[in-house]
Amino acid sequence: METALLEVKNLAVHFQTAGEPGGAGIAGGVSAGVIKAVDGVSFQLLPGETFGLVGESGCGKSVTALSLLKLLPTPPAILAGGEVIYRPEKKRPGKDLWQLPHGDLLKLRGKEISLIFQEPMTSLNPVMKIGRQIGEALRIHSAEKTPAAKEIRREVLAMLTRVGIHHPERAYDAYPHELSGGMRQRAMIAMALICRPKLVIADEPTTALDVTIQAQILELLKELQASYHLSLLLITHNLGIIAETAHRVAVMYMGRIVELASVKELFHNPLHPYTLGLFSSIPRLDKEEALAAIPGMVPDPLRLPAGCYFAPRCPKAMEVCHREYPMSREVAPGHTVACWLQEK
Amino acid sequence: MWAYFLKRMFLIIPTLIGITLVSFLIMQMVPGGPVEQALQRMKMAAQTEGGPGFGSGALQTAVTSAELENIKKYYGFDQPVLTRYFRWLKNLLRLDLGTSYTYEKPVSTVIAGRIPVSLTFGLTGLFLTYLVCIPLGIKKALKHGETYDHWTSILVFLGYSIPAFALGVLLIVFLAGGSFLALFPTSGFVSDYFEDLTFLGKVLDILHHMFLPLVCYTIGGFATLTLLMKNSLMEELNKDYIRTALAKGLTYRQAVFRHGLRNGLIPIVTNIGMIIGVILSGSFLIETIFTIDGMGLLGYQSIVNRDYPVALGLLVISSLLMLVGRIISDFCLVLVDPRIRFR
Ligand SMILES: Nc1ncnc2c1ncn2[C@@H]1O[C@H](COP(=O)(O)OP(=O)(O)OP(=O)(O)O)[C@@H](O)[C@H]1O
Ligand code: SF4
Ligand SMILES: [Mg+2]
Repeated sequence: METALLEVKNLAVHFQTAGEPGGAGIAGGVSAGVIKAVDGVSFQLLPGETFGLVGESGCGKSVTALSLLKLLPTPPAILAGGEVIYRPEKKRPGKDLWQLPHGDLLKLRGKEISLIFQEPMTSLNPVMKIGRQIGEALRIHSAEKTPAAKEIRREVLAMLTRVGIHHPERAYDAYPHELSGGMRQRAMIAMALICRPKLVIADEPTTALDVTIQAQILELLKELQASYHLSLLLITHNLGIIAETAHRVAVMYMGRIVELASVKELFHNPLHPYTLGLFSSIPRLDKEEALAAIPGMVPDPLRLPAGCYFAPRCPKAMEVCHREYPMSREVAPGHTVACWLQEK
Repeated sequence: MWAYFLKRMFLIIPTLIGITLVSFLIMQMVPGGPVEQALQRMKMAAQTEGGPGFGSGALQTAVTSAELENIKKYYGFDQPVLTRYFRWLKNLLRLDLGTSYTYEKPVSTVIAGRIPVSLTFGLTGLFLTYLVCIPLGIKKALKHGETYDHWTSILVFLGYSIPAFALGVLLIVFLAGGSFLALFPTSGFVSDYFEDLTFLGKVLDILHHMFLPLVCYTIGGFATLTLLMKNSLMEELNKDYIRTALAKGLTYRQAVFRHGLRNGLIPIVTNIGMIIGVILSGSFLIETIFTIDGMGLLGYQSIVNRDYPVALGLLVISSLLMLVGRIISDFCLVLVDPRIRFR
């Protein structure tokens, strides 16, 4: 296997919840405790690949994405454990982003690793012009102390054109509310790419958009990923998007990865019952659908089942499933599954 | 958008007419007006002439109806109310507010005499409030829940809950020579030897006199503005665009000051107009305690003495400031928030 650009090992992110008085564990009322939003997640991102992370709402996708660059406010978040090894140069050993001095991490954020968020309206500063917001990333990461304003403007305009904005001059001087949703997301993408990062994390980049715009933005991301040779961590709850854009994919359930494989393999040979459940509730790319067709409810994160977290909803659950959590097993090259069914 | 603000400016005129007309009518209904007061004075004079205690009852009806007409004419009360109102309004257009009954001088002269003092207090108070509250609110937002946040909250609420006049009395007793220290003058706006001072000396002298009253004026307002600033900034700091700014590689401080602050200041800036509305109003109690000849005292006395021209003049000025303040607020909002456009 190729050297990974980013290697995430046993990532664990918890949330300390205050709970409500009188709600200590008894039905009704929220009990205090630690929510293990991300609980031992491991995966690798190869240079130049699109890696999909898919799962139901609340399974910990965004927490995973934000924690990589330590963007979660702590508290309430607790970076409980794990390693995030970033290795931009193949010949040299990588560095753990979580152990990096804060100043060094700031230098990576937005320059080598950048993010695209779900909601472009709220993710942009409403009172600052688009061009300035994009140029700001260039400005703070520039080698010179006072980079030439003209040069920055030129680069921002070029990037706006690159992401398919037809009137870059106009968009440059526009405030976020003056652009359409699709244009805003394009501007957001321009902001993420302006410093030519090696790795882009896109957290549900199309969820907030109209279906027709979604397809355009995905197409754009795919094209940019290829032409800049980006590693793209694409987070979504839509398997159709994965099929269209990703090379490999991890399926997440309740803070853990239950199955990981190449997109081809996963779509031809899905093994985990949860993955199968996702497929049976298949959303098509042109039709937005919540993944709610799997029977049963997601367990309370504060009172997790002792065994496999999916056991209460799993049609194939066995006795052992309720007792012990299954280990991840490689069932085929590059295809791992965490399920007792694979143990024999 | 300019058309919108022009329209708002024009709307001031009917609003002002409405306010003054209602006030004018109400003033006519309140007993103890200038005519009655004049009659009272004449009675007193007549009594004194007749010698105290001797058969004064016989002279009680000394005021003839002719004399009464004269008095009424002197004060303009011989005309119907509306006629008088419109005459007053016509004079107002020529910036003539009439003559004060009490001071027997033009109202504009009487009011103008009080403006420097009140305006100085108003402006310094405004400046001081913003100077204290904005940085304090920002720091409290950044240190939310920490000890600093708690004790400053206690301080501003203490200032909020203590009545200004009570504080004034306390300050005089403890700091202005009452019983303990005599660090500040008890009263007045300038020293007796003011004219002999150099320019710098004059400024210092005024500041010295202003300090205690200014504390009383401003301290109650700190809480509101500080908390407004704090809450507004904290709300912004939880928004997604702050996370975007951090993801770009900005430090938290940069994200706060380059992105959060400008958004957080929007409600504060709009508050300016409200404050402009009261910038000249002064405070009767504080002015009484510190013997300052300001607008608050003038307004109070003009009502007690039924000095209608002065009362109406003050009303015109304060209403005008209030109405203009509103427009300034909206204008500031347009300046700081690009999402807002008036049509
Ligand atoms: N600030 C927080 N405080 C407490 N718990 C949190 C917080 N943020 C996230 N969580 C917990 O982490 C879990 C995972 O949240 P996350 O936002 O990662 O879900 P997601 O997979 O991105 O879902 P979605 O598809 O809705 O974006 C949530 O179920 C929630 O319990
Ligand atoms: S381990 Fe058991 S419960 Fe869990 S998914 Fe596999 S079969 Fe179902
Ligand atoms: Mg999410």
